[in-house]
Amino acid sequence: MQSDEGHADFDATKITRPDPALFRYYVLSSLLTGPLTPFVLIPLWCRYITLRYKFDDSGVSMRWGVLFRREVYLTYRRLQDIHLTRNILQRWMGLAKISLQTASGSSQAEGVIEGVLEAEELRDFLYSKMRGAKDTTTTANSSGHPEDQARATAALEDIRDALQELVRQSAAPDQPASEPGDQS
Amino acid sequence: MILVPEKAILRASQWCYRGIWGLFTQYMLVPDVPPSLSGADDQQVTAFRPADGFLSYLKLFFWIGLFLFDGIVFILWIVLLVNAWKIGLILTPLIWAIMIIPDIVAYIAIHLRYDTTWYVLSDRSMRMRRGIWIIHETTITYENIQNISIRQGPIQRHFGITDVVVDTAGGGATGKHGESQTVLGHSGLLEGVSNSEEIRSLLLTKWQDSRSGGLGDETDTDHPSASGFTTEQVGLLEDVRNLAVRLVSR
Repeated sequence: MQSDEGHADFDATKITRPDPALFRYYVLSSLLTGPLTPFVLIPLWCRYITLRYKFDDSGVSMRWGVLFRREVYLTYRRLQDIHLTRNILQRWMGLAKISLQTASGSSQAEGVIEGVLEAEELRDFLYSKMRGAKDTTTTANSSGHPEDQARATAALEDIRDALQELVRQSAAPDQPASEPGDQS
Repeated sequence: MILVPEKAILRASQWCYRGIWGLFTQYMLVPDVPPSLSGADDQQVTAFRPADGFLSYLKLFFWIGLFLFDGIVFILWIVLLVNAWKIGLILTPLIWAIMIIPDIVAYIAIHLRYDTTWYVLSDRSMRMRRGIWIIHETTITYENIQNISIRQGPIQRHFGITDVVVDTAGGGATGKHGESQTVLGHSGLLEGVSNSEEIRSLLLTKWQDSRSGGLGDETDTDHPSASGFTTEQVGLLEDVRNLAVRLVSR
């Protein structure tokens, strides 16, 4: 309900698997390496068949790997910058690579999303969840006037005094602590 | 020898370039329009290219390189002609091709580089696009920018352009490869812009309005309770007080 302008039909939570076009791209790009093709293609194939994405309300998790498994979880709010990269092969196949950076020490991207055909929509979705993309600070600024603070403090003090008096009055007659549930 | 008027050459080269540009946008799928910023509460989106001076700046280095490279090749060709004129004559077309074709390619590449570079600024984020074969698009919100550095060399000063680099938190952005690393690191590069002062003042006002450190801290946005009660809450508290006081006085 936060990003319902423009592309309302795009739903990031439906993205779980990379598109088959990604595998075709892997095959083509590994063929470009010539004799090294099998050595390049097999890890990429393993990555492709095990790659899973999960977009939820607060972040995205991606996991892959057959022997050595990896899972990366990134929170939308902690994204620092989003890079959308497409080389000419990826453009022809309608693919793109979205690199997500958090404030960690490495210059490499912490999360790389590949094989999504609606890459621009996904990028805009991620961008709308980033810090600073939405106007949320104004509500925080509007509250907390000093006069309201003073009134609240005075009211609280009065409540405390009144309740103390109430306790003393109810304790003075015969049965002490007859109704402890009222003040809990 | 027929002298071709300068205007005709200009028009013809522009026409050629438009054809190449059309080829790139149609078959290489280079986007023809500036990137947009959508999905968030963006207002006042402005898209611009590097300043015209950036083109002149690139072309200056192009001409320097051309004279150095072609000069060396030309001298070699003359030496070859003098010493072994038969081989020299046979190799003449090849040598002239080596002298001319890279220049044309480089000149076109400069224009393509200029035409594919876009910077988009909105009131809350910036997006940079660059690249011909590999197109990079970087999106950074102002909230996440840690610092801005403005660089200008003497030749850039002559052309009135500056390089603006904005950095986000995190390290390892500018490594040993310099600029090529900057493209994908924790930073964004606005190369050859003439309005660096505007960008800087825009960022300064954003930082003054912002109340966070730009490190993903969420206390500034989602939890207004730290700053106190609303008027509504105060009214509620006063009601409770009145009730309690009435209870006491009864």
